Amino acid sequence: MSEPLRIVGGTVYDPAHGIDGEVRDICIDAGKVVADVSTSARRIDARGLVVMPGGVDIHSHVAGSSVNAARRLLPEEHAADPAPAPSLADGEPWPRSGAGGTVPTTFTTGYRYAGLGYTTVFDAAVAPLHARTSHAELDETPIVDAGFYVLAGNDAYLWQLIDRGERERARQYVAWLLGAAGGYALKVVNPGGVELWKRGLRDRVGLDDALGSTRVTARAILETLCAAADELRLPHATHIHCNDLGVAGNIATTLASMQALSGRRAHFTHVQFHAYASGPDGRRRSGARALVEHINAHDSITADVGQVMFGPATTLTADGAVEYLLYKSSGRKWVNSDIELETGCGIVPHAYREKQSVAALQWVVGLEIFLLAADPWRVVLSTDHPNGGSFLAYPELMRLLMDRTYRADCLKRVNPALLGGSALADGLGREYTLREIAIVTRAGPARILGLRDKGHLGVGADADVTIYTPNADWSAMFATPRYVVKGGTLVVEEGHLRRAPRGGRLHVRPDYDRAIEGPLREFFDRHATVAFDNYPVRTLPDRPVPTS
Amino acid sequence: MVKFSSATCLGCGCACDDITVTVRENRIVGAARACAMGAAWFGDGLAPARVTVDGGDASLAEALSAAARLLNHATRPLVFLAPDVSMEAQRIAVAVADTCRASLDNVSSATVARSILAGQEIGRATATLGEVRNRADILLFWDVDPARYPRFAERYAPDPIGLYLADGRRVISVGVGGAAWSPADVTVRISPDDEVVTLTALAALLTDPGCVQGDGNAWAHARMLSDILLSGRYVVAVADAEPGSGAPDSSGPTGRADALWRLSHALNHRTRGAVVTLRAGGNRTGAEAAMTSAAGYPMAVDYSQGVPRYRPHDGTAGALLASGIVDAALVVGDARLVDHGVVADLANVPCVVLGPAASGGPLARSRVVIDTARAGVHEDGTALRMDDVPLPLRALVTGPPPARDLLTTLAALVATAPRRSVGAGERS
Repeated sequence: MSEPLRIVGGTVYDPAHGIDGEVRDICIDAGKVVADVSTSARRIDARGLVVMPGGVDIHSHVAGSSVNAARRLLPEEHAADPAPAPSLADGEPWPRSGAGGTVPTTFTTGYRYAGLGYTTVFDAAVAPLHARTSHAELDETPIVDAGFYVLAGNDAYLWQLIDRGERERARQYVAWLLGAAGGYALKVVNPGGVELWKRGLRDRVGLDDALGSTRVTARAILETLCAAADELRLPHATHIHCNDLGVAGNIATTLASMQALSGRRAHFTHVQFHAYASGPDGRRRSGARALVEHINAHDSITADVGQVMFGPATTLTADGAVEYLLYKSSGRKWVNSDIELETGCGIVPHAYREKQSVAALQWVVGLEIFLLAADPWRVVLSTDHPNGGSFLAYPELMRLLMDRTYRADCLKRVNPALLGGSALADGLGREYTLREIAIVTRAGPARILGLRDKGHLGVGADADVTIYTPNADWSAMFATPRYVVKGGTLVVEEGHLRRAPRGGRLHVRPDYDRAIEGPLREFFDRHATVAFDNYPVRTLPDRPVPTS
Repeated sequence: MVKFSSATCLGCGCACDDITVTVRENRIVGAARACAMGAAWFGDGLAPARVTVDGGDASLAEALSAAARLLNHATRPLVFLAPDVSMEAQRIAVAVADTCRASLDNVSSATVARSILAGQEIGRATATLGEVRNRADILLFWDVDPARYPRFAERYAPDPIGLYLADGRRVISVGVGGAAWSPADVTVRISPDDEVVTLTALAALLTDPGCVQGDGNAWAHARMLSDILLSGRYVVAVADAEPGSGAPDSSGPTGRADALWRLSHALNHRTRGAVVTLRAGGNRTGAEAAMTSAAGYPMAVDYSQGVPRYRPHDGTAGALLASGIVDAALVVGDARLVDHGVVADLANVPCVVLGPAASGGPLARSRVVIDTARAGVHEDGTALRMDDVPLPLRALVTGPPPARDLLTTLAALVATAPRRSVGAGERS
């Protein structure tokens, strides 16, 4: 159902066009925002309601082998949160039941994102070897447009090219890799560290430590992949999970990584987990201020926060070494899966508790980053779902940002043991405005991702629109949109999910020099267990996003 | 004559994807590089294409309508995923089960339930087979019969020279109650009664060499093995998850699956390592994954209350059929590869069998029988290797209609049928 539609008289927040709470109509036809529609078009009375573009999640874990391994590990969570099929309108595809928890099943993931007013989602870590599985799971994740980032930072073939000084060929290779996997952007996780974990070396990786060869270093990996993203004109910069996640004092690593890429486009992800100073006792302290000062001063850097939210979570990352440490310290169940020639994967269920000093610090550091950031266009919202908490906690996070009284009440309940020197504890009074929320949850991520038709409501934009009923409790307002329009289809009506169209696939297919295929095929024949011809994903549902 | 290179074989869980299949006049006349099991799996491509309802020939439309009627009128339907269908088809079968509030299961509940449950309880440290190939400097074959996985040695380990293994690797073979993998650098035979204790002791020693130790053969073997394993940088224990395939429960003695996953963790405290479990063919892990992604559980799902519920103890196909509660079943896949007890019980239930060579299989006398393509021979799609690596399947010859298409039609018929009213007492 994508009929002409006029959203009448809503209070519109469209920061990409400088519209900050103006009453206007939004017209929609054929899945796009248009200048006008005929008077016979269906009308939604949005008077008194808040109108924003659909939400864009820049960093989540929703589809693929590692996510499915987490689902499989969590029967108790699923049993506690059964998800009945929604009651969709007549003529819709038969709705599907599922299970929730921190790692919901595919259909439930799509329904719940849409029910939250989010219409675009990226899975942040897919081993290209497993790309087919991610695509298949996205195929059964309805409504949201989605894509994923391709893990490349610990890739054996890339390391060989870097070792030989073949930067040009490295660029060609990652172009091939992106197309072969049907990915949207390049992802680096703990450059060097994942491979060293697989080699049984558990030392921290310094930016210039030789990784088996003096030419292969975390710095060289970051430089190579960020340069490639620029030269290939990928819509999104290389998406970087730095070394030393979670470690006391890792702020130095994070800042050094940012400096290493100085002047290049680079996206640093879940920076909350990478912004810890080290106190005199060796324990973690907030490093948020130093991080944000650097980001504020460097326009080429973008970031998402990776806020932790109190409650259950599932830690799920390619950074296998981190998960081993979490398993050892928590005693909870643990999955590790090493993935040949490419990456790793670790999973440990987790819970963030207010009275736990580290969790309290993490919660505070995330909020500090949000509240100190000068430019919301470059520091956007994420919880690294499900690592810092479920995406279902986004409304609560928005309330924390918008309501300082509520935030202060929450702060009183957390363990203060590690909060010495934190800006939040010293009193940060900033409150996000609706405009700023619209930036950090849709306009900003869309711009960072290079999605020209998303995150705004100008003529030609994808007709992804979320309409909220104002509420003094911001959390309640953002948790239950009154209407959600996805690609021109009214998916949420009067707060109920009524339609579940197929979501689109966002991927790139940059050109590459076919001459690389010969040596690459040889590498596959010698070391891979999947035939070169069987590796690429052949058919995808939508056309690639242009890279020029 | 047409040659297909890089065809994927589902003869066992190794899912070798380097087979060159030669086709002449729509018959498979060669499967180069395939082992004998693989060659038998590809066959000649000739497949029955019968469709019957109540024993008489019927059109596809009639058969699918009859199938939908049967499922729609049942109070306790069962959807069962048998081997040799693509993940695409499996996903549609899951949709059918969801839509008609059926129980949903696959072959794993009869063969590896304990391994699945143990993995859900404690987790597991594992690796894809390419890590075994490239990195495993010590390989511990734990009671693996090479005849069941003929090309494992050649494709994965120990034969290939690994990318990170300039110094080669050592192979340890443990036989439980008999001979096992050979040749090996070290061979150990243990008694079946000692298997779980040895695995448990080994995990304890790998975690803490100074742990309190017991006497007897099991601990002696464990000490010897532990010393060898701790000399490795990346140690992979390879064990058959279905060592007694065909028996009612073939996952081995109680405690074995749990001990294997604990061993997998223990391999990571003082060295690095993984346990890799071997599986039989036909895309079994694909069925588990297709169920997990949409229903949240890899086996034994009960949709009767409108949401997926996990019933790994009393809701497996075997348990439900034995209880006599199932009043209609949809079997998707090759029934010849299903646990004999489950098949025997299915024969007593009004049943729709939709799969390759259904008319020649053990459920050929079922209410509705539809021969379909075999995924990877007549039908394209995706399958998972036993380590969850996805591989493409190709249609090599034309044959009966694709299971995916038939299931799509069936799903639409089930979805559009008037819904039964479900009373709480009726279905609990």
